[in-house]
Amino acid sequence: MGRSYAVLPCNGLDKNAGGIAREIALALGERSDSELICPVFYRVAEARYSKVAAEKPLLVLDGCSTRCASRLAAEKGLKIAAKVTVSEEAKARNVSLPKGLRLDEAGLSLASAIVEALLAEEKKEDTAREDLFAGMVYDYEIYKKDKFIFRVPRSGFLFNENDCWAYVVGHRARIGVADYVQQSLSDIMFVTPPAIGARIEQFGEMGTIESGKAVFEIVAPFTGTVTAVNEALASSPELINEDPYAKGWIAEMELADLEGEREFLLDFAGYFNVLKKKVDEFHV
Amino acid sequence: MSEETFMGVPRDRIDWSPRIDYAKCNYCLECAKFCPHNVYEVRADEEIKLVVKNPLNCVVFCRACGKTCGPDAITFPDKGETTRLIKEIRKEMGSNG
Repeated sequence: MGRSYAVLPCNGLDKNAGGIAREIALALGERSDSELICPVFYRVAEARYSKVAAEKPLLVLDGCSTRCASRLAAEKGLKIAAKVTVSEEAKARNVSLPKGLRLDEAGLSLASAIVEALLAEEKKEDTAREDLFAGMVYDYEIYKKDKFIFRVPRSGFLFNENDCWAYVVGHRARIGVADYVQQSLSDIMFVTPPAIGARIEQFGEMGTIESGKAVFEIVAPFTGTVTAVNEALASSPELINEDPYAKGWIAEMELADLEGEREFLLDFAGYFNVLKKKVDEFHV
Repeated sequence: MSEETFMGVPRDRIDWSPRIDYAKCNYCLECAKFCPHNVYEVRADEEIKLVVKNPLNCVVFCRACGKTCGPDAITFPDKGETTRLIKEIRKEMGSNG
């Protein structure tokens, strides 16, 4: 029977991707115990779906990057357990979406491939591993602006100018985002971590985190291979809001060139200046 | 010197900003609404209603506005290539410095 979700699809008539999201939702409803939430009806009659939304893990099916379904979930305060963006899946699978709104064969087969993947999911590997980062120390400097407080740890952390941090132990680094990111995004509702084993170049994309407001791309501080991701973020992405430098860490990587790349990063003093400037100029 | 820099390199030497594919853009303006750095300018009365007005305001390596784009009309330069160029310029600056 596979997994069972409360499915909130895009369902939109603006683009073909919306039709594909709808098709995926219908197939999940037929092939599993999943229940569907009609986004249009949900907007006007929330009570109709409140039980489903509370009882089953929520799967959000966005058609395109406008993320209407994700934003609706954010608006209704729902917790997202899993999500798919059809346009991204199409890109990843090298399928081009037709311009018209009717589903063609390629669209239908993309929908069915995504359905298979969703029903098959749920592989948990227990990764017992040594915690190299147990000894991290936190001593914060604070920058205040109006009611906002931005923390930056004074020592041990390196930063890039895109507000991502690295804490290095030996040739491993733990990676996360700075307080500025979580304050700017506000309530984080979903984290797409990098794939374990993936090789990422310095300043390349290392997953994304998103809120009702925006999607933030995590910019890798170093080149390396992803060795671990913070599993807790799948069910509790709010850890990034609560504790971005500790419990809200995102991933760990084995570094390829620590010494060569370190000079492109900032220490506390350098980053604190960058942060102050950003807060003064842009934070609203 | 009030010149803006990124990773120690003058910002105007780094070619990083969004490119709009006008064949795809539907002028929903989500990108312009999103970007807090005034990179875009909306021109309501003109045929081309959206332009990249201040490319140098764009935060190097940020592609967040592109992630708001439903029709996928926004692209950015290659990150790897941009990193390589920044590192090269830094080296060159170091040896001149």
